[in-house]
Amino acid sequence: MTGSKWKASEEVVRRFQHVGRALLLHDIEDSHSGNIAMRWTGEDGEEKILITATGSQKGDLYPSDICLLSTSETDFGYYKASSETDIHARILALDGVGASVHAHTKDLVFVTFDDAPKPNQPAPFIPVDPLGYHVLEGQVPVDWVAVPSGSREMTETIPRRLADHRVTVIQGHGAFAKARTIEEALYRLCIANHAGYVVRLLLKIGADVEGLRAKIREAPAAHFAYPPPDYTVNDDAICEFPEEDELIREFRRAGARIFESRISPFHTGTLSVRGISSMLYAPKASMPREIGGPLRQVPLKPDGADDRELAMHKAMYAAGNFQTVAHCYVPEAETLAHFTHPGETEASDRVIAIDAEGSFLYPVIPVVPPGVELETLTGLLHDYKVVIVRGGGVWGVGHQSLSEVLHHPSSVREICQYRMAAFERGLDLRKLEPAKARRW
Amino acid sequence: MSSYRIPGYSGKILEVDLGREIVRARPLDPALAEDYLGGRGLATRLFVDAVDPACDPLGEGNVMVLATSPLVGMNAPTSCRGHVVFKSPLTGVIGSSNCGGTWANVFKAAGYDAIVIRGKARTPVMIDITPDRVELLPADSLWGLDVHETTDRLLEDGAGKRARVLCIGPAGEHLVRFAALMNDKNRAYGRSGPGAVWGSKNLKAIRVFGQEKTRVVDPERYQSGLDQARFLLRAVPTTKRLLNDMGTAGLVRLINVIDMLPHRNFQDNLHRQDRLDGASGEALRSRLLVRSGACMRCPLGCQRHTRVGDRTGEGPEYETLVLLGMNCDVYDLEAVTLANYQCNELGIDTMSCGGTLACAMELFERRYITEQDTEGLDLSFGNASVLEELVRRIAFRTGIGDQLAEGAARLAARYHHPEVAMTVKGLEIPAYDPRASYTQALGYMTSPTGACHLRGGYAVSLAFFGGAREIPRFSLLQSPIAIRNLQNIGILQDSLGVCRFTGYAYSAEPWSRMVSGATGLDFSTHRLEQTADRIAALERVFNLEAGVTRDDDTLPARFSDESIVVGGKERCVPKDVIERLRSDYYELQGWDSEGRPDRALLHKRKIERLRS
Ligand code: SF4
Repeated sequence: MTGSKWKASEEVVRRFQHVGRALLLHDIEDSHSGNIAMRWTGEDGEEKILITATGSQKGDLYPSDICLLSTSETDFGYYKASSETDIHARILALDGVGASVHAHTKDLVFVTFDDAPKPNQPAPFIPVDPLGYHVLEGQVPVDWVAVPSGSREMTETIPRRLADHRVTVIQGHGAFAKARTIEEALYRLCIANHAGYVVRLLLKIGADVEGLRAKIREAPAAHFAYPPPDYTVNDDAICEFPEEDELIREFRRAGARIFESRISPFHTGTLSVRGISSMLYAPKASMPREIGGPLRQVPLKPDGADDRELAMHKAMYAAGNFQTVAHCYVPEAETLAHFTHPGETEASDRVIAIDAEGSFLYPVIPVVPPGVELETLTGLLHDYKVVIVRGGGVWGVGHQSLSEVLHHPSSVREICQYRMAAFERGLDLRKLEPAKARRW
Repeated sequence: MSSYRIPGYSGKILEVDLGREIVRARPLDPALAEDYLGGRGLATRLFVDAVDPACDPLGEGNVMVLATSPLVGMNAPTSCRGHVVFKSPLTGVIGSSNCGGTWANVFKAAGYDAIVIRGKARTPVMIDITPDRVELLPADSLWGLDVHETTDRLLEDGAGKRARVLCIGPAGEHLVRFAALMNDKNRAYGRSGPGAVWGSKNLKAIRVFGQEKTRVVDPERYQSGLDQARFLLRAVPTTKRLLNDMGTAGLVRLINVIDMLPHRNFQDNLHRQDRLDGASGEALRSRLLVRSGACMRCPLGCQRHTRVGDRTGEGPEYETLVLLGMNCDVYDLEAVTLANYQCNELGIDTMSCGGTLACAMELFERRYITEQDTEGLDLSFGNASVLEELVRRIAFRTGIGDQLAEGAARLAARYHHPEVAMTVKGLEIPAYDPRASYTQALGYMTSPTGACHLRGGYAVSLAFFGGAREIPRFSLLQSPIAIRNLQNIGILQDSLGVCRFTGYAYSAEPWSRMVSGATGLDFSTHRLEQTADRIAALERVFNLEAGVTRDDDTLPARFSDESIVVGGKERCVPKDVIERLRSDYYELQGWDSEGRPDRALLHKRKIERLRS
C-alpha cells in the first residue's frame, strides 16, 4: 500500500520526535530502547496505530521510523514496527486510551528489583513523593515475566494491569504508561521514574523507606499537600499574551531549564509572573523547548473556579511584593524533606547548605509540613526566598525576573545533592553545616 | 515617647534653628526608628513633620534634614552614607539626595542620628559639632570661598584632620538651583539643589568631629549577613572588578552597547565608535587616572582620582562624562574632566549642569538662543572649549550663567520652547535614554524627586548587569512591578546608609540580617519591604501636598514622538504606553487614578499623623 494514506502528518511526526527526544533528555531511555504509540485518524478517516520502528533512536526519530499500522489488518508496517507492537495495540484498545509509551525508567526499575526465587509476584511500588502518590494513584503494579521483551506473557499482563492503573512495571525491564496523548504518557512515565528516584535517594541516605510507607498508609493526608492540577491535553501551543515577546522567551527558557536540569519532571510544576491585574501563568512549568506548554493570562483576583495550584500563586502575590513565583517538584528536596540527617526519625525543619555558594545564597532552606498555613509559607518565602514543603514540592519567589525565581529550586537541588554526596562518603554532615545556620 | 535607645542608633536628633539661633538635642523616638529605619526614611519623616509643603524652597520656611542610619559606623560594605531631604528649589517637589564619603560617619560618631535645620541666619554661619558641644559660628570669612578652600580652612584651625566638613561653594551662595552640598571636597549630595537651600539659609558649612563607636548587639546574625554580602560582592563582575578598574565611567561603552547612551540632548543615541572610545572609561584609566579611591568602608572603590595637566581632582563619573560630554556632543575627555573639577570646587551638581548645557546647546542650534544672549559665547553642540567658562558663569550667575543657573526647564520655558528641556518634574534626566527601557522610563516618571535613576529605580542595573535578575526591557506587564521593587530596594539602601552599587550583587536579604544583628530588632525582609512602602507613600503624600498631579508623572514629548534605534528596532515610549504604565503603577501602589493614596492605605502604612 502506498500514498499519503500511509504517511503520518508532519505535525504528528514532530510530536513523536519531540516526545522521543524528551524521553532521552530526561534519561529514562537509552539510545534505542522504548517505544511510543498512539491512535491516529488519517485524512481518509480511518483509525490507525502509529508506533516507533524497532531499533529506532527515540531521541532522533526519522519520519520513516514512525510506522503506521491498521488497527484491523496486518500490513507491511507491522514487520518494521516495535517488537512490542502487540502490547501497545492492546493498550490502545482500552477505553479512553489514545496513547501508550514504554520506557526503561531506570530509577523505577532499580527500586523494584527483588532477589526472591522466581517466579514470584513482586510487591507493588508505593510512591512516597506527592507527584507519584497523586498522579499514579498511590501505587504502580510490578510483575515478573519469564521473557521480559515482546513476549506473549507481557502482551497479556501489561494491558490487564493498565486497565486499572496508569503505569505498570515489568520487573527488570521498564514501565508502560497509558494516556490520552503521547505527551500525557510521557508525563506519567516521568513522574513514575521520579517517584522511583526519590525512593532510590532515600535508600541511599539510609532512610527507613518501609517505615515511611507505613506512616503514609496510616494517614496519607498528613504526608502530602494538595494534588497537582489535572493534566490537560492538546493545549501546549496556547499563548495568551503574544504581545509580550520578551516574556514568552523567558518562560520558554525557564521551562526548558526546569525540564532539562531535572528540577521538576516533564510538565509538572508551575511558574508565573505577575502584572497589575493579571498574571502570566505556565501551568506545566517543566517544558522541553520543542513541546512547550500552555502560557495563560489569568486575572489576579481569586476565582472560585481556580484550582489549588493557581490559587496558591494568586495568594502569594496578594501577600507580598513578589514579581515571580515558581513551584517545582525537586526530587532531592523531596528526599531531604523527610530525612535531613542519616538515622533521623523525625524530619528536620530546615536543610542547611554545606557548599560554598549555597551557604551564602541560601544559608537555610526551611522545610515545612504539607499542611502549612499559607501565611506561614509566604512569611518564610519573604525571608528565605525558597521553601521546601514536605510532600508538596519547592516554592520560590523572585522580586524581578523568571530567571531569578528559577535559580531558587535549581540551587536547592544542588544543595541537596552536595549533602547526599557528603553522606555517601561517610562525612559528618553536622560538622559541615555552618553552626549559625542551625540556630536561625 | 519611650526613652529606650535602640542599639545601632546614637539615639539623638540635633535641632538647629538658624533664625532664632537655637541649638538643641532631643532623643530619637524609637518608634520612628523602627518604622523609618534611618537615612532617607528617617529624614523624610522628620522633614514631613517639620515643613509646610507649600513653603518657598528658598525661603526660611524650608527645612532640611540630614540623617544617618543604624549601619553607618559599622563595618558593613559601603555603610558610610548620609541622606538629605528638603523641598527642592529646582523642582518644587521633595528633594532627596544621598552621598558617601566620610562626613555621615563622623557625624554619627559625634552622637547624632539626624540634624534638622530650619530658619535663616541673618548673616553667614557655620555649625560646629563635637561630642561635647554644638555651636553656631560666624562664617563671613568663608563666604565666597570655594568648596576646597572652605574645607581646607575649616580643617586648619585646630580642628585637626579627623574632623569632617560638609559645605557649599559659590553656587550654593548664589542660589543656583542645582547647587550641591559637598563633603570630603569632592563627594556630592548633588541632585535637586540642596546647596541652594543652604545658601538661602546663609549656612556655609557643618564641621563635625566625633569618635563614638557603634556596636552590634547580635554579632552572629550581623556577621552572617556580612559574610553573605562580601561573598556576593566578590561573585559579581561589576562589584568585583568593573567599578574598581574603571569607575562608573566603565559603563560608557556598555550602555552604548544596549543603545541607551544619549547624544545631543537626547536627540539620538548615535555615537561614532572612535570618538566614544576616546572618551570612555578605558581612555580615562589610561590617560588621566592617578589612582582609584573609595568611600569609607567600601570594597568597591569606584572613585577616580585624576590629573589633567597640572590640575588634579576627582572624576568624571559615568553620569558626568555622558551628560557634560556625549550628550553635549563633546568627546573631549580632558575638557569634561576639567569642567567636572570646576563643578566640584564651585559646588554644582554635574548631572543637572550637563542636562542644562545640552538644553542650552539645542536652543542655540535651533537659534532660539543667539550669540547676543550668550555675550558671544558659541554654544554649539560639540564646543568643549566653553564648558569650564559656562560652569563658572553658572556658579556666579554672571551673564547667560544666570539663566542657566535656573536649570533646563526654566531656561527652555524662558525661551518659549519647553519641549527642549529633557526633564521630569523639572529635574534633568540621567544618562540613560528611557526609550531603551520601559522600566527605566517608568522609573523617571514616578521618581518622587523627578527624573532620577537612583530615587526612581536603577533599572539599568538589571537591564544589562542583572544576571539572574535581568528583566525584559519592553514588558508592559512586568515594568511597573519591576520598577516599584527597584525603587523599594533603593529606598532601603538609602535608609540603611549603603551604596546603590551593592544592588548589582544583592538586594535586601543580607541587609536584613545585618540590620537585625546591629539593632537586635527583627527586621525581616518582609518588614523591610513594608518599611519601603511606607517611605514611598510618605514621599508621595508630601509631593501631592506640594502640588504634584498625574500630569507631572510623565516624560518629555520627545520620548514619545521621536524614535531611536534599539536592538535594531525603532523604539519610543508612545503616549498610550506612558498612560498604561502610569495607571498600572498607580494601581500597584494602591493609589487612585490621580495618583493619590487614600486614607485606608495611609492608615495601613501608619501615616495617619499627617495633614489631611
Ligand atoms: S561604590 Fe563608589 S560611590 Fe559607592 S560607596 Fe563605594 S566608592 Fe563610594
